[in-house]
Amino acid sequence: MISNCDCINITQDKKTNVFYNFNGIKNQEENKEILILTESNVDQYDLHNGNRRQNISDDNALRENDTQTVHDNRLKTMTSFYKDILISIGEDPTREGLLKTPKRAAEAMLFFTKGYEQCVSDVLNDAIFEEKCENMVIVKDIDIYSLCEHHLVPFFGKVSVGYLPNAKVIGLSKIARIVEVYSRRLQVQERLTRQIAEAIQEAVQPRGVAVIIECAHMCMVMRGAQKVNSRTTTSAMLGVFRDDHKSREEFLSLARFT
Amino acid sequence: MTSQSTDIVFIDSTTSRECHLFEFTSKLRTIMKVNQDLPHDSVNLTVRSVKSCTCSNHDNGDSDRNTNAPRKYSVLDEKALREDDTKLVRDQRVQTMSRSYEIILESIGEDPTRQGLLKTPKRAAEALVFFTKGYEQSIREIVSDAIFDEDCENMVVVKEIDMYSLCEHHMVPFFGKVSVGYLPNKRVLGLSKIARIVEVFSRRLQVQERLTRQIAEAIAEAIKPRGVAVIVECLHMCMIMRGAQKVNSRTTTSAMLGVFREDPKSREEFLSLGRINPF
Repeated sequence: MISNCDCINITQDKKTNVFYNFNGIKNQEENKEILILTESNVDQYDLHNGNRRQNISDDNALRENDTQTVHDNRLKTMTSFYKDILISIGEDPTREGLLKTPKRAAEAMLFFTKGYEQCVSDVLNDAIFEEKCENMVIVKDIDIYSLCEHHLVPFFGKVSVGYLPNAKVIGLSKIARIVEVYSRRLQVQERLTRQIAEAIQEAVQPRGVAVIIECAHMCMVMRGAQKVNSRTTTSAMLGVFRDDHKSREEFLSLARFT
Repeated sequence: MTSQSTDIVFIDSTTSRECHLFEFTSKLRTIMKVNQDLPHDSVNLTVRSVKSCTCSNHDNGDSDRNTNAPRKYSVLDEKALREDDTKLVRDQRVQTMSRSYEIILESIGEDPTRQGLLKTPKRAAEALVFFTKGYEQSIREIVSDAIFDEDCENMVVVKEIDMYSLCEHHMVPFFGKVSVGYLPNKRVLGLSKIARIVEVFSRRLQVQERLTRQIAEAIAEAIKPRGVAVIVECLHMCMIMRGAQKVNSRTTTSAMLGVFREDPKSREEFLSLGRINPF
């Protein structure tokens, strides 16, 4: 898969199992830079979950095929290990307030990672419509809550998404659902931004997509550097939004965070 | 119960399982508490000398009580759960927790060997130890050297202290602001000690109601003022990120002791001086 977004694009040739990096390439004729990733240098690139998917819509969510039994087993394992964690902290898991805490904490953790149970194509549910719209569509101030994959501590904030349709529009709540599916996982804010942008890009093939995320990271506020008021902003600009600064400006002013 | 040697292994005779030093000490506390019911040789301890533990049944380090009986032990003198930790014990805690977190990562469905998650179990364990560092300090130590004699009779308010805690029911953060006010009775407390008291009680597995009460009682016992008032206003991630999913709702609890409980004017003055603005 080749796309013209500003990120490291890694695809795997299924026959030879060699990875290719088409960095900054627009179309196949201009194939100048090809970096073949071997076992020695593959760690430099973030291969999400080990294997980059060929196609967003083929995203095989990690827990998609869970039956009820599998889900219950997960819950049981996590419950017993949360109990061990409580003991390790020094607390007494038999006191009244903590009796059912391991189970509740396990269920909460499964809820916070429920994005693994759905893939984007299910979420979209074919809510793509033909519409002669040529002007920007922006859905702004979508609340997101995610888990930092490095410390397992929440980060939360707002997302604003805009796109310039190209004869196809997407159901508005589906944009929010795409945000939900990707944010309810162990995430890194940069990757989350990119995934949302690419999902919309693939779903409706618009002229351009823009995503801004602004979050407060509890791993930075509650511990570590302990900077209470600081927030992290990341963005992803694809297509027209990258090339044309006027469109980008329009999006940034319309989507200004309140 | 501390040990400097790395060779001692504690065997829990009820389960014949090796347990870590910190597990052993917490079980010891439980055993001490119920020792009047157990026959003498029913618990086989593999160590000879046992330091007797004076703390009773604790509720988040809080003293033994039922809802109506008067409290026997003071909040200032409660024994912090991890106060006797040596470095060895602490490292063992982090190691055990890292293993637990690794299995939790697998249970979620993730792959703990991918690059972003390689050191996550250890980081998450250390983060959790940091979030519960309130168990490592005793209040008496914090406040004892900052009590001053001062002829002050008017209200002292320290407001909008940022506070971050962990919900004891879901182990998910809740955070917000605390405003504390007191009417001194010839003795004042160092201002940053008020913030430290908030820190020690909040960096634990908490329930907002209990946190409020503990802060108020600690200040009341430390300087015995004419009255203490505490307001805590928090956002609970367990309610925002999951469950009811109410994004804008905040929970407020308060504790009014002494004059603040009896005199409505004082209470009104505190509520207007110490008002917590929306955050």
